[in-house]
Amino acid sequence: MRLSIAFILVAVSVLGGPRPVVAHHSITGEFDPSKPVTLKGQVTKIEWTNPHARIYIDVAQPNGTIVNWNIELAAVSALARNGWTRSALKIGDTVTVDGIHARSGAPIANARSVVLPDGRKVLSGAADQ
Amino acid sequence: MKAHLVILVLVGATLPLLAQQPGQGQPSISTQRLKGPPTGPVPRLPDGTVDLSGVWVGGGPINDIEREGGLKPGELDALMRPSAKALMATRDVTMEPHNRCLPMGVPRTTPFPFRMVQTPTHKAATHIFMLQEGNIHSYRQVFMDGRKHPPDPDPTWYGHSIGWWEKDTLVIDTVGYNDKFWFDRRGTPHTEQLHTIERWTRLDLGRMENKVTIDDPGAFTKPFTVTFMATLSPQGDELMEYICQENNQYGVHTIPGFDPLTGETKK
Repeated sequence: MRLSIAFILVAVSVLGGPRPVVAHHSITGEFDPSKPVTLKGQVTKIEWTNPHARIYIDVAQPNGTIVNWNIELAAVSALARNGWTRSALKIGDTVTVDGIHARSGAPIANARSVVLPDGRKVLSGAADQ
Repeated sequence: MKAHLVILVLVGATLPLLAQQPGQGQPSISTQRLKGPPTGPVPRLPDGTVDLSGVWVGGGPINDIEREGGLKPGELDALMRPSAKALMATRDVTMEPHNRCLPMGVPRTTPFPFRMVQTPTHKAATHIFMLQEGNIHSYRQVFMDGRKHPPDPDPTWYGHSIGWWEKDTLVIDTVGYNDKFWFDRRGTPHTEQLHTIERWTRLDLGRMENKVTIDDPGAFTKPFTVTFMATLSPQGDELMEYICQENNQYGVHTIPGFDPLTGETKK
């Protein structure tokens, strides 16, 4: 019994720790930290690729049009080492992305967090390391 | 009864965290890394040679070779020739070669691991390979068979490396570098005259020190030495595929005027 409690305590402390983030390059060359964006939309495409995994989401504009945003995540190997697989999200999922906007102003963002409607944060590890 | 209650509460608290680790019942590699490198004695091969094999992280500069290498602020700047300073002043982080999936060179490292491989293992190694996962999938080849450097090697990203043991330290002597890679994200430069002497010492099971002397009379007025620490990745971690060219969108649509072929931006 004592062993199980110890195990669970360890599990809680280990799993609850912060997750380091990894990127192959400096984020700020491409993305402007002074331009944060919050985007809510439906996932239309998932690219489980290197040097970055990407998701594409349809975001409705106030005027009713839809803009497809390209969301840069961490490298696949970094996400995998953080415990994520490509099935963490699926096409059609609604997500809220907090990120920073591309310097060009194009609908591209580097994700700081990707959150599902139930509040679960997925695919963490996207910020500059 | 009380114990059961405690477990229930703890399990309840754990479940959402477990849910963040899809498909796995154990902590992720990066979470295990937070505990620090494993401890224990230095492993050895049957002939007594230090065994450096394993999956390692770090051991070189990433952001700032001066600070991360243990030098005082301004120390490197004071050694830099005017030509090197002028070159560095033209660089910004968007021009980094590895943004275009080019290698990191030496002694720079990446956030991704590398595997040290000594071969053969049943007698003195003739070759040591450092297999790099990231950026980019590539390898360093160190000749341990006593050969010398060629007289006029073609300049390359990893140069021509010969190695030998000094007690338990692996010494890697490298010449024949190109001048294309950066020592760090600040753009600290070097020339083709670069000569590095790395001293890799496995301090214990989980830590390997890399003390590097950088001698480049083309860029610095005298040699300097910087020190880094590599740590052993948790058991179970392996090199993973990392094909940087697969979907590299660096700068293409994010930086106005960026040319992905040259890495330069038209102002």
